Amino acid sequence: MSKDELLKLLENAIVMGHLDVDDEGFDGTMEGTPGTLELVEKALNEGIEPGEILKSFGESMEKVGKLYESGEYFLPDMLASAECVGEAMDIVEPKLELDDSSAGKGKFLIATVKGDVHDIGKNIVATMLKGAGYQVKDLGINVPAEDILQAIKEFEPDFIGLSALLTTTMIEMEQVIKLIKEEGLDNIKVFIGGTPTSKEFAEKIGADQHCRDVIEALQALEKMGEVS
Amino acid sequence: MIISDEQLIEMLSPAEMELIHRGACRILSQIGVRVTHEDIAGRLLSRGAERKGDRIFISQEMIEEALAQTAKTIRFDAPEPAHGFTLDADENQVKFGPGGQALFIVHPVAGGWDRRAAGTNDLKQILALCDQLPQVDFTTRPVECDVPEDRMDVEKAKIFQQYCTKPMNLANIVKVEYLDKVLEIIGNPAYVSFIVSLVSSPLALDDFSGDKFVALLEKDLPVSISCCPQGGSTAPFSEVGELLQLHAELLFGFVLANVIRPGAKVLYRGIPITSNLYTDGSPRWCQPESIRRVTLAAQLCRYYNLPCCGTAGVSDETEPTAQGLAEKVLSWTYGIASGAQYINSALGMLEQVLSVSYHQYVIDDIALKIIKEKFAEDGTGETSVLAKDAAITALSHFGVAVDREIEDELTARIRHIENALEPYSEEYIEDQIANIKKAVEKTSSTVFMVAARRGLREGYLYQGDRIDAPLDLLDVTERLKSSGIS
Repeated sequence: MSKDELLKLLENAIVMGHLDVDDEGFDGTMEGTPGTLELVEKALNEGIEPGEILKSFGESMEKVGKLYESGEYFLPDMLASAECVGEAMDIVEPKLELDDSSAGKGKFLIATVKGDVHDIGKNIVATMLKGAGYQVKDLGINVPAEDILQAIKEFEPDFIGLSALLTTTMIEMEQVIKLIKEEGLDNIKVFIGGTPTSKEFAEKIGADQHCRDVIEALQALEKMGEVS
Repeated sequence: MIISDEQLIEMLSPAEMELIHRGACRILSQIGVRVTHEDIAGRLLSRGAERKGDRIFISQEMIEEALAQTAKTIRFDAPEPAHGFTLDADENQVKFGPGGQALFIVHPVAGGWDRRAAGTNDLKQILALCDQLPQVDFTTRPVECDVPEDRMDVEKAKIFQQYCTKPMNLANIVKVEYLDKVLEIIGNPAYVSFIVSLVSSPLALDDFSGDKFVALLEKDLPVSISCCPQGGSTAPFSEVGELLQLHAELLFGFVLANVIRPGAKVLYRGIPITSNLYTDGSPRWCQPESIRRVTLAAQLCRYYNLPCCGTAGVSDETEPTAQGLAEKVLSWTYGIASGAQYINSALGMLEQVLSVSYHQYVIDDIALKIIKEKFAEDGTGETSVLAKDAAITALSHFGVAVDREIEDELTARIRHIENALEPYSEEYIEDQIANIKKAVEKTSSTVFMVAARRGLREGYLYQGDRIDAPLDLLDVTERLKSSGIS
């Protein structure tokens, strides 16, 4: 198989959300055929440059985005593709030269704030961002402000995402932002999301961006990337 | 309201329910529940549970012992004694109350509806309104007070004491250290009951809720053990898989309840709804597949002869509409036929559980009366016939000209509610348990979402037409005025 054919197969596996040989893929017919993970391994073994593989990830996700916009793909389809890229990144990343890894879109730290154990939205955002090329650290649920601050110091993110589903816990977001400002980390952009949150609430607590869903988060990140 | 045995709907056969029971028991004995609450873990271990890492495993024997111990009758007293009632798991009686923890009030403005933040005054007004509405048998906290968290419980208790003469479901207690004070303000602990969402799906005990559960049961207060997974995000997208997980999570609650207090007064509250995977994953409370799943959960509860807290009438609409009314009527009708005895969140709710509307409370009160009359007149025992008839009558009552198109849409929705799309076989159940295990091990809800792709294309989520027609709400506005509600 030529390099182009292999990369084309890889692209198709990602677009079809076909993670590995045990996964049935988009249309339920792909179980038993090599998936994204096997194809990435094969590409690396055959000497294809990690940078080229990365490029193919980006092109695949672009196609997935278009299919979603056209209504042909739904949220689970897009998520499956993002998960393919996310897991494949774990294989490719150690092989990257320093120059290649710096080509990533940035570091994103994400957490559900203290007192809140809801994680659906957070998990979707984390998976999609990873698939879109961001380096994501997910602190999980019920994370105290102090722990988030500690993680910021260790991970040095460009962006932070805070999630809450309850009116009683969304106020915790303000505490996190206060700590970030007190530490003089104003260069980090803070995103917030979750059912009870709003643009007005984001402004009130000093967050940089309120997102209703993952698509808004991705669009806002793209915009920030263009500006910077 | 009392319904006949013939009016109880049987969507699962005894053999299918037994398969779900055994599957749920396997989940609890083989996958277990994540418990990091040391006191609760200790209590469970002392009664025969096993522990590996942070997971607690419960045997089928422990589950069945707990189910046998659970109280089968629960008394709900009220400040006005005539409003008190006894819930008996053996009886086909149905009681209705509002509910939710809505954030917004939807109110009419020139040319439509708007919404604003809910607060303390709304809690007072809604309790006063529900006290007057004849179809409201008990009152569940509809909105919270806009006071600091530290004052929430006491403030809420004062308002209930002042504005409510019916059995009071305070739903949540924010800080357990205020429980004694709350009971003192209410004046009689026999007036109050609570709701606790004990387990975060999939299969993880919520520590805060665990504390509340222990405190409430130690006071011998009635508690609805609530579980509201969303198929496709926090539970399998498959109806069979979601029921298995929901059932396991609730059975865990029954075991814990009886460990804390043998013979605990607890109700089974299963709300297995779906996520809207066509859009952003938001919950679908009142769509046909969710109505079906909630009905199945109540039937599973009936299988054990346990007191059942149902949920019906939580519309997905953002404002009072004909579409919302139709959704609600189907949901209530199947809720009643499911055998649920204590139906929560039944009035006033819009936009899933985010909003309530004073107007919607009155609309729902009128529609519930219509449904009760239909059940009383019904001689067929056919829920599908009754549901369609009730929906047509309710829509007509509010000025909707029900044409063939609307009738067809109602028929299609009812068909989706009543038709099984998946097999209830040993093999299929094993597949679903494997999926749940995978999600638990990965501790990520994206497992269920990614696995939902096939079900999405096989039509698990109902896709139909909307019922769009203006509602004539003149009577509703008049009734609100005469109730003194502004």
